[in-house]
Amino acid sequence: MTFGDFTPEAFAFGFFTILTLGGAFGVVGSRNLVRSAVWLMVSLFGIAGFFVLLSAPFLAAVQVLVYIGAIGILITFAIMLTRSMTNLKERFNKQWWLAALAALTAFLLLMVTVIVPTWGEMGAEEIPPTVASTAQLGEAFFSGWGYVLPLEVASLLLTAAMIGAIVIAREDD
Amino acid sequence: MIDVPSFAELNLEVALPGIFLALFTTVLLIVDLFIPKDRKITTAHLTIGALVVAFVLNLPAFNAGETAMNEMFIADAFAGFVNMIVITGAIITVLLSVDYMKRSGIEHGEFYSLLLFSVSGIMFMGSANDLIVVFIALELLSIPLYVMAALRHDDVKSEESGIKYFILGAFASAFFVYGAALIYGATGTTNLPEIFRAIAGADGIVATENSAMIYLVIGAAMVIVALGFKVAAVPFHMWTPDVYEGAPTPVTAFMSVGAKAGGFAGLLRVMIIGLPLLVVNFGDAVETMAIGETITVPSAWQTALWLIAAATMIFGNFIAISQTNVKRMLAYSSIAHAGYILMAVAAVGTVQITKVAENDYTMVAVYAESALNGALVYLLAYTFTNLGAFAVVMSLENNDGSGTMLDDFNGLSKRHPLTAAMMAFFMLSLIGVPTTAGFIGKFLIFDAAIQAGLIPLTIIGVLTSAVSAYYYVRIIVNMYLKDAAVTDEAVGLTPYVNYATIVAFAGTLIFGLFPMLALDLLASSGAQIATLLF
Amino acid sequence: MVPLWMFLTVAAALFVIGAYGVLARRNAVAVLMSVELMLNAVNINLVAFWRFSDPVASVSGQAFAAFIFVVAAAEAAVGLAIIISVYRSRYSVVVDDVDMLKW
Repeated sequence: MTFGDFTPEAFAFGFFTILTLGGAFGVVGSRNLVRSAVWLMVSLFGIAGFFVLLSAPFLAAVQVLVYIGAIGILITFAIMLTRSMTNLKERFNKQWWLAALAALTAFLLLMVTVIVPTWGEMGAEEIPPTVASTAQLGEAFFSGWGYVLPLEVASLLLTAAMIGAIVIAREDD
Repeated sequence: MIDVPSFAELNLEVALPGIFLALFTTVLLIVDLFIPKDRKITTAHLTIGALVVAFVLNLPAFNAGETAMNEMFIADAFAGFVNMIVITGAIITVLLSVDYMKRSGIEHGEFYSLLLFSVSGIMFMGSANDLIVVFIALELLSIPLYVMAALRHDDVKSEESGIKYFILGAFASAFFVYGAALIYGATGTTNLPEIFRAIAGADGIVATENSAMIYLVIGAAMVIVALGFKVAAVPFHMWTPDVYEGAPTPVTAFMSVGAKAGGFAGLLRVMIIGLPLLVVNFGDAVETMAIGETITVPSAWQTALWLIAAATMIFGNFIAISQTNVKRMLAYSSIAHAGYILMAVAAVGTVQITKVAENDYTMVAVYAESALNGALVYLLAYTFTNLGAFAVVMSLENNDGSGTMLDDFNGLSKRHPLTAAMMAFFMLSLIGVPTTAGFIGKFLIFDAAIQAGLIPLTIIGVLTSAVSAYYYVRIIVNMYLKDAAVTDEAVGLTPYVNYATIVAFAGTLIFGLFPMLALDLLASSGAQIATLLF
Repeated sequence: MVPLWMFLTVAAALFVIGAYGVLARRNAVAVLMSVELMLNAVNINLVAFWRFSDPVASVSGQAFAAFIFVVAAAEAAVGLAIIISVYRSRYSVVVDDVDMLKW
């Protein structure tokens, strides 16, 4: 692809990039935490768009339902419960410029080492036209010839997290 | 139609210890609801019983060497040994917890379930044969630890330690997955032996000018950063002292050995099975090689781990000297010990390059079995010794968390001669004095490092060990030569804590006198790892 | 189709913005949200690598991404529980106030 032919896909990519990165800047930059949470949802929605562009509709649906729907709401609830934090006087700690410098360096490093080598590679011609279906993904998770061990360990993880959250958050009686 | 594998094809029996413990944990959660509040000791007994059963189930793992569940799980001597370390550590931790939890008013039945969740996470980590499993197991070992660290509601320090551990742990996890994603991008697979084969190419030949190589290097670096957090290696150690000091002492004890064992198991799995052929600096020798000549170069991560190991040993030991709180001192000592184990990890991997023809090289990964054994035996020795030391610290700790300063050890030999003697022995083991398990671990590691040609690193190791003697011996001096300012009884010195101390003492002594007990179990580990690769 | 490097660039940018948030924000909930951004950056990477390598026969990248969802959910639940618990005992969740922090 060149920047010359402005396909609908390229337009969509640009749109989702603005949502994702704009949302991300909103998350780290907002004084009001409720705004941060809303920006987070915007950013996550942009990522769901990327999943659609990358032919992963199932993940896009999960992103919207679980991430935006559940985790986003969970975070909003937590902010509401700890109300006095919604309007912060100081957003950043004293080393914010050091963190900014480190982040910028890391980005340049990633660009030079990871992105530039793939520049030009994997153009439109080389991409496989068809992809595995959501049904195949489901089979891979549950059939035993796929990800049955991580799936089971992940279920343990969720149980542990649930028990842990209850133990921490309940009032001692 | 879905093709369902039979139970035999899943090969579940090799994963039996982990599966048993995970199942038991979920059952324990329910059983615990029916145990009345004042009899939570029953839950502890059940937990110890389950751990003993898992220990027995784990014994066949030492001669298995099989994969299970679509190559995601591997049972070999390495996994068996990691399981053994963590199960033993967990048994001692439960013994330590029983009375401590009661007297500090945080006795929850769920505590034991969380501990077992963490233990099964470490066990799956030791057996992981896939990056996804390493990641999920890493989370399963960490998340219960975040909760357990923050368990003392009444104590602000404990909650702070929980939040700090959580934030840095989550940060490290993000690094781990980013690195794993890059490794996946370079090789197209998450399976560790497949990654090895993708790097090696079909016939064991690596393209030296490979654009995927840079992905792998950055990916491996991020994985090292993330697991460096877990094992508390410098410069990723900053959470350690505060978290160790703030968390309830039995949790700190388990964290210092369990999270370390899990982190090192993951690091060794990823580096040895997946990325042994990763070489960036071929040196000038490759240019001038004659056809048919063979040279040995270090793996890319060896150089990185060399630097981290040296920094960790120096920093940990020197800062530990200035500590007056023994819990904090043991935290810095735990950092230092991570350095010694990292030294063994650095000594594990080298690559032999042979020039076959002009611009055509073959590479073979060479494992130093002695270094692998050294790392594992050191972990075992450290588990017994450090849990023992924490057991003694806990016996002196008051209900409000005070009583862990150096001066609180004054005159302990007169008040509790047996405890003081065992504490002295643990301190000697941490220094690495002969007849202790710590000596065997250090000896194996230094030996392996010398064989791998890491002479400067070995010198740093020996010198920092000498430095460490200063702050460990200071406790012995306080116990034997100084007089007690206080004469009141040590509140924590209960029967269960005594059992824990005695188990730890026995382990430290037995493996110190008969190191072959551990080494025989490991006899086949290196060979197994090598055969699984080729 | 949009080439691979563009997806990787967006992911790298998102990852470092998240990392900046973790290192620079004072509020623990904001730090948690930044961690979520970092994990999402990884998901873009994984799905993009999967789409551009061998998307017909294997689902490994998608599967890995799905497991990251699970971990993100678990981390959010436990993290917020700890944060709320700290808040209840001291009415503040500023990371600097959770002091003795020397990082």
